[in-house]
Amino acid sequence: MRPILLSGHERALTQIKYNRDGDLLFSVSKDQQICVWFAHNGERLGTYHGHQGAIWTIDVDPTSTILASGSADNTIRLWEIKTGRLLKTWDFPTAVKRVEFSEDGSKLLGVTEKRMGHLGTIVVLDIKLDVDAEQSDEKVMTIVCEDSKPTVAGWSYLSKYIIAGHEDGSISQFDGKNGDLLYNIPIHELNQPITDLQWSHDRTYFITASKDKTSKLITAKDLEVLKTYPADTPLNSATITRKKDYVILGGGQAAMDVTTTSARQGKFEARFYHKIFESEIGRVRGHFGPLNTVAADPTGKSYASGGEDGYVRIHHFDKGYYDFMYEVERERQNKLNQQQQQQAATA
Amino acid sequence: EDAERISSADVAVVEARRRLLEEWFAWREAITQEVAEEREIYGLPADPAAELIKAKDAEHAGDAEEQVIE
Repeated sequence: MRPILLSGHERALTQIKYNRDGDLLFSVSKDQQICVWFAHNGERLGTYHGHQGAIWTIDVDPTSTILASGSADNTIRLWEIKTGRLLKTWDFPTAVKRVEFSEDGSKLLGVTEKRMGHLGTIVVLDIKLDVDAEQSDEKVMTIVCEDSKPTVAGWSYLSKYIIAGHEDGSISQFDGKNGDLLYNIPIHELNQPITDLQWSHDRTYFITASKDKTSKLITAKDLEVLKTYPADTPLNSATITRKKDYVILGGGQAAMDVTTTSARQGKFEARFYHKIFESEIGRVRGHFGPLNTVAADPTGKSYASGGEDGYVRIHHFDKGYYDFMYEVERERQNKLNQQQQQQAATA
Repeated sequence: EDAERISSADVAVVEARRRLLEEWFAWREAITQEVAEEREIYGLPADPAAELIKAKDAEHAGDAEEQVIE
C-alpha cells in the first residue's frame, strides 16, 4: 500500500470524510480549517474559510454539492463544495460535535455539546440541496438527552431512526420522524464514551468505536450487537470497508495519558479486522500521534486516517489486499461462480 | 497424534468460520429484502442518492444546452 501524506493542517485532525464517488476527501481540524483533497493523488483542491473555532465535524451530501460543518464556534455551516461559498450559518448555545446528512440529503442532524446549563441535544434541520435556495432557519426537531450526553449520531436507512452514541457507553435509537426515544442500551463499558459511529453502505448496520478499547458492529433496526473487535488501546474511530469484508479501527493513547509516549507504546496504528470473523488481519503504521479519525473510500479503492499529529494519510490498496481471502471465503466465491456459470449455461 | 490433534483443531476453526460466513450472508439477504420492501411501500427509490445524482446531472445537461443556444 503506498501512502500519500497530506500536510495542510496545523493542528490535530478531528474528522475526515470521502464523498460518495470516493474522488474527494474532506478534512477538518482544530486549526479552524476545512480542506478538500483529490483522493487519488493527495493534491489540495481548496479550503473553506469562516469558522472561528476548532472544527469538530463535517459531512458531504450524497450529490457532492453541499458540505456541512460543525464547530466549537457554536455554529453549523453549509458550504458550496465547488466554489467554497458559505451558504448558511445556524447558531447554537454550545459547540457542535457531529453533523450528518440523511441518505437523501434532505435532512441534516447536529449533535450539540452539554455545557453551562445546556443539555446535550440532537437537532434536525431541513436542507435544500440547491446552492441558490434559501435554507430554513428553523430547527424541525430537537431531541434533548437528559441522561447521558450524545457524542455521535447518525441517520439509519430510510431515515427511519436516528442512532446516537453516548458518553456513558450506551446507544440510543430514536424515531427519525418525531424524535421519540425507542431504545437505550448499554453497549460499551459503563462510562467509556463512544467516540465514533459510521454506517454500512446501506445504513442497515453501523460500527462504533469506544474508549473501552473495543469496536462493535450493530444493527440499526434492533441494536443487536453482531460483532465485537477487541483492541489494546482506546479507540477514536472505526470504519467499514467496501469490496472487502473488513473494518478499520484507529486510536492510541493520548500523550497526556502516559508518561512516556513513543510511537510504539502509543500504538498509533490503523488496525484491520475481518468484519465477519472478528480476527485481526494487519496494522498500518505511520502516524506520530493517536489516530483521531479513519474513513473508508466508498468505492473500496483506498482508506484514509487523520491523526493528532496534524497529518492525513491516504492509502491506496494494492492487488495483494484484494486477492487475500480466507479458505472459506474462497470456497464460497467458487461456489457462487459455479452457480453463475450453470445459470448462464441453462439460460 | 499431535498432527491429528492440530488438524482437528484446524477443521474446527474452518467449520466455525464457514458457519459465521453463512450466518452473515443469510442476515444480509434477509435485511436487504426487508428494506427493499419498505422502500417500495413508501414509494422510495432503491438507491435515493443515485436518483438525486441523475436529477442533478440532467439539470446540468440542460444548462449546457442553453449555453450552446446563446
